[in-house]
Amino acid sequence: MTRAYLLRRLLAVFLVLAIVTFAVFAITTMLPGNAAIMILGEYATPEAVAALEKQLHLDQPWYAQYLSWVAGILHGDFGTSLRLSLPVTQVVGEAFVNSAMLGATALVAVTITAIPLGALAALKRGTGMDLGLGLFSYLGTALPEFVTATLLLVFFAAPQHGLFPAGGFVAPWENLAGFGAHVVLPAATLGLVLMAHISRQVRSEMSEVLSSDYIRAARLKGLTEKRVIRRHALPNSLAPAIAVISLDIGYLLGGIIVVEEIFAWPGLGRLLIYALENRDLPVIQAVTLLLAAVYALSNLLSDIVIALLDPRVRYA
Amino acid sequence: MRVQTMSQNVTAAAEKPALSIIDYSLSYKTANGLVAALKNIDLTIPKGKTVGLVGESGSGKSSMAWSVMRYLPPNAVETGGAIRLAGEELLDHTPWQMADIRGRRMSMVFQDPSTSLNPTIRLGEQIAEVLMRHRGLTKAQAWAEAEAALARTGITRPKEMLQRFPHEASGGEKQRVVIATAFACEPELIIFDEPTTALDILTARQILDLFNQLRDETNVSALYISHDLGLVSRVVDEVSVLHKGVIVERGLVGEVFARPSAPYTKQLIGAVPNPDRWIGVDAPAEPKTLIKLDGIGVHYGAPSKIQKMFWPEDAEKVGFWGAKDVNFEVRKGELLGVVGESGSGKSTIANVLAGLQDFQGNLEIEGKTVGSRKAIDRAYRRRVQIVFQHPDASLNPRQKIGTIIARPLKLYGVVPREKIKARIAELLEMVRLPAEYADRYPHQLSGGEKQRVAIARAFAAEPELVICDEVTAALDVSVQAAVAELLVKLQKDTGAACLFITHDLNLIRQLAHRIAVMHHGKLVDFFDRPDARSEDRDPYTKALLDAVPVHTPVEAFEIA
Repeated sequence: MTRAYLLRRLLAVFLVLAIVTFAVFAITTMLPGNAAIMILGEYATPEAVAALEKQLHLDQPWYAQYLSWVAGILHGDFGTSLRLSLPVTQVVGEAFVNSAMLGATALVAVTITAIPLGALAALKRGTGMDLGLGLFSYLGTALPEFVTATLLLVFFAAPQHGLFPAGGFVAPWENLAGFGAHVVLPAATLGLVLMAHISRQVRSEMSEVLSSDYIRAARLKGLTEKRVIRRHALPNSLAPAIAVISLDIGYLLGGIIVVEEIFAWPGLGRLLIYALENRDLPVIQAVTLLLAAVYALSNLLSDIVIALLDPRVRYA
Repeated sequence: MRVQTMSQNVTAAAEKPALSIIDYSLSYKTANGLVAALKNIDLTIPKGKTVGLVGESGSGKSSMAWSVMRYLPPNAVETGGAIRLAGEELLDHTPWQMADIRGRRMSMVFQDPSTSLNPTIRLGEQIAEVLMRHRGLTKAQAWAEAEAALARTGITRPKEMLQRFPHEASGGEKQRVVIATAFACEPELIIFDEPTTALDILTARQILDLFNQLRDETNVSALYISHDLGLVSRVVDEVSVLHKGVIVERGLVGEVFARPSAPYTKQLIGAVPNPDRWIGVDAPAEPKTLIKLDGIGVHYGAPSKIQKMFWPEDAEKVGFWGAKDVNFEVRKGELLGVVGESGSGKSTIANVLAGLQDFQGNLEIEGKTVGSRKAIDRAYRRRVQIVFQHPDASLNPRQKIGTIIARPLKLYGVVPREKIKARIAELLEMVRLPAEYADRYPHQLSGGEKQRVAIARAFAAEPELVICDEVTAALDVSVQAAVAELLVKLQKDTGAACLFITHDLNLIRQLAHRIAVMHHGKLVDFFDRPDARSEDRDPYTKALLDAVPVHTPVEAFEIA
C-alpha cells in the first residue's frame, strides 16, 4: 500500500461525500410541500408562513441555501431541528451512538459465527451439514427483516415466557445486562440476513482455496490438517468475505431503519422516519449524509484491511 | 531383455529399492463408468537412482505421482498391485500414517512454483513449517535450518529471501524454495513433476543443474516426470515411457533414445524438434519488405496525477518499457522467428503488430506509414492476423466452429455470402479437419484441433502476415510438430509471411528464415538462421542456445 494509493482513496471518499451533500440537498428541496406550512399547520396566516420562510432562509435561491448549509457543515453546524428545537448535532449524535451499538453488535456477532460456518460448509462440501447450512442461508437471505423480526418476536418475546423484551432500549453504561437483553432480538434480525450472505461467500472462497495448488502442496508436505486449514486456507479465504462485509454495511444501514422501528430502538432509523414524517429538513439532511459517510468510510477501511491481509494487493 | 538385466542388478545389490511399484492399476469413476488411468504398472527406483517417467498429457504420469504420494481424488479406484517405499507397503497406510511420511520420507517438487507456494505466507515459514512438523524443531531452529537449506540451493542471500513473499521472488528463486523444502528433511524419495516446464530457458537450465548437484550431494532417489524426452535424458539414469496408462518401453536412457523399440517411443523421439532438420518453406526469391517496425516502443503503467503532484520521485519509477526502440522488418513470404524469455517483449511486439496495443514509433506496411494504434484501418487488420497461445481462451465457447471461421469471412467480405459455407469446409480441409467439425463446439475438440481452428480463422481473412504467438507452447510434443508442419504447408499454399513467436529455440531453428532475439524489451540480436552458431552472436543469444536441452537422440546417447 502506497501513500499515493491511500491519498487517492481518501480524496475519492471526500468527492463522494461532496456529491452526496448535493444530492441530499436537491432531494430534500424538491420534496413536495412547504416546510413552513408543515411546521405551522395548514391554518397558518400567510404572514406567519412568510416570516418562518425568512427565518429558515427558504426565501433565498437554492444555491445560496446550499452554500450556507455546506458552510455550516464544515463548521460542524448542521442547523437546528425544526420540530425538536435542539441542535441537529446533538439529536443526530445520540441516535448515531445508539445505532452504532446495534449495528456493531450485529456485525461482530455475524462475523464470528458466519466465517467458521462458511469454512465448515466448505470442508464438509456435499455432506448433509453443508446442505443444511445452505438451506438455512437461503432462508435467511429470502426472508425480509420484518418477517424475521416478527418470527423472532413470536418465539422469543412472547408474553408467556418473555425471554427477551419485545422492544425498547437501555444504555449499556446504565445497565449492561439490560442492554444485552434488549439488543439480542434486533441484532439477530439484522444478523440473520448478513450471516447467510457472508457464510456463503466464505464457503465459495474457501472451496476454491482448498482446491488450489498450494493447499495440495501443503498437504503433500505432510502438514497436519489443522495447520493446513488454519494457516494456509482460512486467511486466504477471508479477503473476499471482508469485501462483502463492507458492502453489507450498506445493507445494514438500510435494515436498521426497519429494525429500529419494529423494536423501538432510538437510533438513526427511527430518527429518520420521525424527521421524514415531520418534514424536519435539517435532520433528514444530516442523517442521510451521515449514513453515506459511514458507508464510504467502511469501504475504505475494508480495502485497507484486505491490503494488509494479502501482501499482493498494493494498488487498485 | 534390458528389463531383466536391470532387475538382476537390483537383486545383486541385495538392497531394497527406494520405490517399487508392482503390477499397479488405477481407474477413475466417471459418468461413463470406470476409466482406466494406469494399467499394470511396474516401476522400480533403486536407491540413489533417478528414474524418468515420460509421457504426453493424459498418459497417466501425474496419476502415478498422486498414487505414490497417496493423494488421490475421491473418484479414484485402485484395482490392484503394490506401491512400496523401501519395502514398506504404502497402500495399507492410513491417511494419518501417510501424513507422517509425506514431507519427511518422500516429498514432491511441483510444476509451477508460482501456484504451489502460498501467496500470503513468507517463504521462510513455508520451508520452516516442514522442519517443525517432521523434525520437531523449535521455530528459531527451523528458520535457521531453512536458511541453510536455501543456501544449499544456491540462493545468494538466503536470510533475506526467507523474509520475502512469493510475489517478491522470481520464478527460479521460488522453485529453489520449493526444492529446498523438498530436500529439507532429507527424504528417501523425491518426485519431480515437470519442475522446469513453467520456467524460462536459462532458469530451467539452472534448476536442472541444481537438481543434479543436490542429487550427487544427498544421494536421494528420484522419480522425474516430464513430457520432454530431451530434457529427461539430461537428469535420469533410466526412463520409462508411458502411453495411455501403459508403460510401453523402459531402459537406460541412452539406449531408449538410440534404439527405441516401441512405435510410440519412435514417434515421440521423431517429434522432438531437431534444429538441424529444416522443415520450413523456401525463402522468398527476392526479399521484399512487407512491414517495417520503426522505433517501436511500448510503455506499460503510468503514474497517477496524485503521485506526480506529491511524490514526483516515486512517479518516475512507475511503469516499465515493454518494448523500447525496436526496429526490424518482416519480408513477404518469410517466416521470421522471435525468441526471448517471458517478459522479454515478444508478445508486446505481436500485440502492436496486430493493432491490440498502443505504441510509439511507426509501422510501415508496404510504404504506408501507420503512426498509432488508432490509425490502423480495416484493410491493415485484414492483412495482419494473429493466432494466440491458448485456443481455449481465443475461441468463443458458445459459438460453433463454423460460426467462428465465418466471422472474418463476413467481416472482410472475403467471399460472397452464399459461398461462405463452402469456404468454411475448404478452410477446415486446409487445416486437415473434417468438414463436419463446422457444427461442433470448441469443447468437443482436442487442444491440437482447437489450435487448428484458430489457425483456420486467421487464414480465412487471406492475410499477408500471420502472427503466431506461442501457438505450440500449450500443446504436446507430437501435436506441436503437426501444428508446425501445418503452418509451413499453409505458408507454401498462400504465400503469407509468418511472425513466429516462441521460446523454443530448437523448434524455431527448424522453421524460420531469420530470427530476432528479444531481451528486457529490446531487440538484442537479429540473424539469418544458418548464422545461429556464428561467433559474432550476441552473448545473450549464445547463452540461450547453450541452455536448451540436448536436442538429438544421438547427442543424448553420447552424453549418457
